[in-house]
Amino acid sequence: MEIASGLLHGFAVALQPANVFWCFVGCFLGTVVGIMPGLGPAATIAMLLPLTFKMDPSGGIIMLAGIYYGAKYGGSTTSILLNIPGESSSVVTCLDGYQMARKGRAGAALGIAAIASFVAGTVGVIGLTLIAPPIAAFALSFSSPEYFALMCLGLALVVLLSGPSLVKGLLALLLGLWLTSIGTDLFTAQSRFIFGQATLLGGIDFMVVAIGVFAIAEVLAGIQAGEKAKLLPVPSGIRNLLPNWEELKACRFAFLNGSVTGFLIGVLPGAGAAISSFMAYGVEKAMSKHPEKFGTGVPEGVAAPEGANNADTGGALVPLLTLGIPGGGTTAIMLSALVLWGIKPGPLLMTEAPDVFWGLVASMYIGNVVLLILNLPLVPLFAQLLRLPVYILFPIILGISIVGAYGASGRLFDLGLLVGFGLLGYLMVKFEYPTAPLILGFVLGDAMERALRQSLMMSQGDLTTFVQRPISAIMLGLAVLILLSPLLRRFNQARVRAIAENG
Amino acid sequence: MNRRHVLAGAASVVTAAALNPAWAQFKPTRPVEFVVHGGPGSGNDVFARALIAIIDQEKLSPVRLQVANKPGGGSTTASAYVMSKRGDPNVIACFTNAWITDTLVQEAANNRIVDMSPIVRLVVEPALVVVRADSQIKSMADFINAAKEKPGALKMSGGSITSRENVVRQLLMQSTGARWAFISFPGGGERIAALLGGHVDMMIVDPSEAGEQVRAGKLRPVAQVNDRRLPGFPDIPTLKEAGFDIPNVPQMRGIVGAPGMPADAVAYYEDLFQKVTKTTAWQKFITDNQLDGEFVKTAELKPFLNKFEGQLRDILKEAGAKVVR
Amino acid sequence: MLLKDIVYKGDVVSGAVLAALGVYILAQSRAWDYYTADGPGPGFFPAWYGASMVALSLLLIWSALRNDNSERGPVDWPSTGRALATWFAFAVSVALMEPLGFLVSFALLTFFIVAVIFRRPVITAGITAAVAALAFHVVFPVVLNVPLPTGLLGF
Repeated sequence: MEIASGLLHGFAVALQPANVFWCFVGCFLGTVVGIMPGLGPAATIAMLLPLTFKMDPSGGIIMLAGIYYGAKYGGSTTSILLNIPGESSSVVTCLDGYQMARKGRAGAALGIAAIASFVAGTVGVIGLTLIAPPIAAFALSFSSPEYFALMCLGLALVVLLSGPSLVKGLLALLLGLWLTSIGTDLFTAQSRFIFGQATLLGGIDFMVVAIGVFAIAEVLAGIQAGEKAKLLPVPSGIRNLLPNWEELKACRFAFLNGSVTGFLIGVLPGAGAAISSFMAYGVEKAMSKHPEKFGTGVPEGVAAPEGANNADTGGALVPLLTLGIPGGGTTAIMLSALVLWGIKPGPLLMTEAPDVFWGLVASMYIGNVVLLILNLPLVPLFAQLLRLPVYILFPIILGISIVGAYGASGRLFDLGLLVGFGLLGYLMVKFEYPTAPLILGFVLGDAMERALRQSLMMSQGDLTTFVQRPISAIMLGLAVLILLSPLLRRFNQARVRAIAENG
Repeated sequence: MNRRHVLAGAASVVTAAALNPAWAQFKPTRPVEFVVHGGPGSGNDVFARALIAIIDQEKLSPVRLQVANKPGGGSTTASAYVMSKRGDPNVIACFTNAWITDTLVQEAANNRIVDMSPIVRLVVEPALVVVRADSQIKSMADFINAAKEKPGALKMSGGSITSRENVVRQLLMQSTGARWAFISFPGGGERIAALLGGHVDMMIVDPSEAGEQVRAGKLRPVAQVNDRRLPGFPDIPTLKEAGFDIPNVPQMRGIVGAPGMPADAVAYYEDLFQKVTKTTAWQKFITDNQLDGEFVKTAELKPFLNKFEGQLRDILKEAGAKVVR
Repeated sequence: MLLKDIVYKGDVVSGAVLAALGVYILAQSRAWDYYTADGPGPGFFPAWYGASMVALSLLLIWSALRNDNSERGPVDWPSTGRALATWFAFAVSVALMEPLGFLVSFALLTFFIVAVIFRRPVITAGITAAVAALAFHVVFPVVLNVPLPTGLLGF
């Protein structure tokens, strides 16, 4: 069979000592890059490009890919320990990961993140190996109405993220939608809500919002809580610093969920990794027997999004390697790297450069193992970070937040925005507004508006296009169901109560 | 030594200095900032790094050139940054059409490239008009006729309203009377995916982006947007050859310096980049990337840019964009 | 209910702010095309989420006024004050980063937090501030090549 022989050939390439070395280098760099907010895989790959000119293309792409998916492993570290997303797709991990850390299960959370990343990352590569061409065809069949329906489904998850007050959750969501529309409209070049600042023409950087609303707000809230939040409990003993069997068992579905959701959404060009982690989280919560516990620190709440953002890398490589279409961001730079080496990614890559394609795929199996071995022992080490007294930890969080916000763009303006969002996040906590919906709205709002306008442009104003296309109709139907579910639940509860009273 | 020899020697030195002012005067002593309006890995970033690689390889500069990424708001962050470095001979930037179109449509983008120190234009980026390989459309005329039959029904994918694709679309629609829709997508990958998936009918795209699809037989080019045929596509007619005589509004990349840059520094950079274009590495670069190396020197660049700005202003107004400047 | 009670109810205040924001968004969106021949214009989405924001915040205010459950105690001003003071110090330190650079501003911020907010001895605060600032300087700009704001002093 073609795939089997290709894969064997790939392992022959990937297991050459030089390529193993590059794989290790890439994974190591990726982990470091992921851990540090302010360092992104895209910028790192761009920096290393000149050094790779002289390299053999197989080794080069193996290393760059290692950085790409390695970063997804490291990104959860600061999310769990400090509530600072290490990378944009690690935002969702903050929700339950940080809460687990506060309950003394930081090590368990870090361990689960690593294991979920390994499982889902490997599944993603299996998907890339076995079903790349048909899945690519599936991705191409996705048009703007389907994207719109997908975004609506994502936004409907707000219902699951709002906690006690749905109204406040919706208001947070709307706030997020507004914040993401600040900038320049793609279709008409009309600038919106820029308050006369040319700096805002490009919109607000997602990391600035996420770090401000999560990390800074958490510090301020912690200071308000005062002496009651003196030290985060860190259990002693190696056994307590890693996930226990119960926690792992609870994550069984999450591993599957993260893998499938992440891979499928990763395949879609233009749907970022943050979207896949939100979706996986939402699906996990919807299917859970104890949805109300999400947000308080449940292991599945870490496993699902962390797995999703790793499976996403496997998915994102499908259009890149089978069609030459970059999903955006990091895959775009990898495309440039391939072009610089004289390899042309496109439909003919698999047959014309099997060394590169299968070598890369095989190296990803190896890379995921390497990363698991690299990350798991680091878990107890990192968990020790929380032994620091709060009066040292909080300034460090503020410092890392500044690095994270400044690192990407190098603009002091972004630090000013960070200050503003920190205050916003704190006020939201004080006035009891859930912050996750704001981030959800910010992540999805842009894509949703674009997809809506593209769809209507394509159908020349015909709204029925959303229900005429089957996939879009199904997703929209699901979205409506989810949005109505609180009402349905209340209706059901009233019915049950009525039966109990009469019975 | 004979006095006449001394005088001759002195005269030749003075003449050489007068003929080649760059040689006599400016030489950078600090690393040069090469400003780029995209993030790492973006088109401009890769272009700038390729230039720097050639300069390093051929040892054309005594100091390092370093890419300074200033992404944000299209070109506005980068142009504002360059504008803030008045008189600095160590700040240059890579400019594209966006540096002009942004100032035309954004109220807040008030740093015009003609107010800085334009140095040279390095390349012009041709484009291909492509359709799916299984489409009924076999030539540009087919497309235009189909569009005339059903106004507004055909669709093309592209970037924003100010992008080159839309400019060409406007010019074609004006000259032929046909009408078709323009669907904006933020990334090149999505645009090609939309075409491959059959959700749009045509797109105007860089040869480097679509080349592989064409080679694999998934997309068919029906025309080229350029003055002359690209070596990689000898059988595809240019728009003019296909009978569509629209003005050439090229997508270009060039080098601009900080405003008020001293004339000898400008001359130095002009000379530096001219030397780059004479190297074999450069020739290989533009062939590999399907670019057209139409070099424009400093003296001709400023008037060209002024005229170009006027052209774009008219086209964008016609396209319905809100032109503010 | 006294006006004082109404105003201090968190939901009413936040609802009013959000309603005002919604009105602002709606007003701004009128300057842009709502719907054009090419489909929804730039004013379409803002109009919808602006209007929804107004509607939902009014709903919030109404439900807050209806359920007069004041189980929430009075505002704990000292703690809130500490948090706001920290935020203010953070804002000031960011503002100082342009002239003074990250190293100095961050050291000052750390000193403030340790000494004033957490009321640790000045020596502890000083050492923490110095060590933290230097650690950041070594790890980020030096080792990892991640830029940090530099001020007039060059670092």
